[in-house]
Amino acid sequence: MLFDSEKPALGREFADGEVILHEGSVGDCLYVILEGRVEVVVDDGGPEPLRLAVLEKDGFFGEMSLFSDLPRVASVRALGRVRVMSVDKRGLLRWLGDDPTLSMRILLKMVERIRLLVSEVVRLRKALREQQGG
Amino acid sequence: MELTSGSRVAVIGGGPSGALSAYFLLDLARQTGIALEVDLFEPRNFNLTGPPGCNMCGGVISESLMQKMAAEGITLPRELLLDTIDSYVLHTDSGAASIRPLHDEMRIASIFRGAGPLGAESQSPLPWSSFDRHLLEMAKGLGARHHARRVRRLDRDGEGRPRVYVQPLKEEAAESGETERLFGVYDLLIGCVGLNGAGVRLFEALDFGYRPPKSDRAWVAELYMGAEEVRRRLGHAMHIFLLDVPGMKFAALTPKGHYVTFILLGDDVNEEVAKRVCHSPQVRELFPEGWEMPVRPCHCQPRINIGPPVNPFADRVVLVGDCASSRLYKDGIGAAYRMAKVCALTALTRGISAEAFREGYWPACQEMDRDNRLGHLLFSMDGLMRHVTLFRRAMLMVVREEQSRPHDPRRLSSALWDTFTGSAAYRHIFRRALHPVVMWRLIAAMIRLLFSFLRKR
Repeated sequence: MLFDSEKPALGREFADGEVILHEGSVGDCLYVILEGRVEVVVDDGGPEPLRLAVLEKDGFFGEMSLFSDLPRVASVRALGRVRVMSVDKRGLLRWLGDDPTLSMRILLKMVERIRLLVSEVVRLRKALREQQGG
Repeated sequence: MELTSGSRVAVIGGGPSGALSAYFLLDLARQTGIALEVDLFEPRNFNLTGPPGCNMCGGVISESLMQKMAAEGITLPRELLLDTIDSYVLHTDSGAASIRPLHDEMRIASIFRGAGPLGAESQSPLPWSSFDRHLLEMAKGLGARHHARRVRRLDRDGEGRPRVYVQPLKEEAAESGETERLFGVYDLLIGCVGLNGAGVRLFEALDFGYRPPKSDRAWVAELYMGAEEVRRRLGHAMHIFLLDVPGMKFAALTPKGHYVTFILLGDDVNEEVAKRVCHSPQVRELFPEGWEMPVRPCHCQPRINIGPPVNPFADRVVLVGDCASSRLYKDGIGAAYRMAKVCALTALTRGISAEAFREGYWPACQEMDRDNRLGHLLFSMDGLMRHVTLFRRAMLMVVREEQSRPHDPRRLSSALWDTFTGSAAYRHIFRRALHPVVMWRLIAAMIRLLFSFLRKR
């Protein structure tokens, strides 16, 4: 049962709206969603942060800062109650070296995200063209 | 010699190494566009309580395995978790010290391998699920066919392909009078037979000179205490005992809901040694007043792998898990996970000849065996701790100091944490334990203790 406080649970729980990671912070871990949903948002200067994606159980986030020392490009907030487990950068990089299939799995997820971003750019450009045309 | 679409694979044994070998093989085959047929032979019924439904171990999933699985997209459903562990308490004859990690999340869980301890069946339906059954279901979810049949014999056909003979069902035996039945001919045979059954003999009898690793016995018991008492007395901590009790190396109490798992390692451990440990003041303190070990607790004496195997592979045959190379004392399930993956990757990318396994699989076995040699050295130092009071007290002092400083790198604490949780390779633990700062702190603590002793005199 989801969020049955009587039952043991792994990871760490975040309340609805709580920020799990902050845009601009420097990351040293990746997060895996064990239960619940999160939204990835970026501050674009508008009245509300721009929502980039909603991720669900078994999805992960925070992986970009594992492969570079640049600050995180977006914030991640809990949508309802969420449980996440962090995976330490040091351990993960060691396992990636030992296990090519794990690298492949993370690469595939990142490719999937790029594909979604490309289709989003195409959709926005089309919408803009229609707006200009109309 | 390689696997192609339509190749048949037999996995003997459905514990973690068997289920994960089938799972990773099918998963990687799917990614590379190869359709395999995988038959998994496991006669054990994981829905049974007690030893008949259990693959016998302490039942703790390590922090590193939990993180690796999470990164892989394998998360454990809550019904598998009996408890989560947030700290370790080290008990010695000179006092205790609590070791907590630097993070504040639950990454270690205790589970039941089967349906739980004997007697638990009275609480039907059971409030938990079997870990081994979950892994088996994962493999079945990718297409593995589970056969609840006992394998009686293995041999090869004229082309060198492994053949699997099973024990006939009662009706088959009554009809034909046969004592074994040819089940199938396979392209690859994966042995995940552990060390506790007759499975290793099936592979010893094959033609490639396999010899199982050297083994020792542990003593494991599930003790009923009631959830409230368990929470009140043990909390979310695993309790480790390094005591001067003849015959024991170390003992541990792990909280598991209503139960506490008692694990004892040592030379020739048995119920007598277990009772001696249970009667020590350090252990008694954690049990309710007047508590006595049940006359016949649900217990087992599983064999544990303490050495390298000889020839764990040949053309079209490979052994994985405890019957081949596993991690010494701790995180056997994590070792099964790693070796099952290396085995699957080797079979699909390099092939299934002895040469392919020598190039792809054997180096991982050798690396684990080399690391275990350091593990032996590390665990042989427990004697220093158990018998030399000054060293023991100095170590507890350093651990307590580290734990009281929020920004301390906690090198000794983390080395002990990883030793007990099985979360890091022994070589990494060694490097941290032998760090000059740790050495200096230990020496300084010993000098302080000596001075205080002399002053008292």
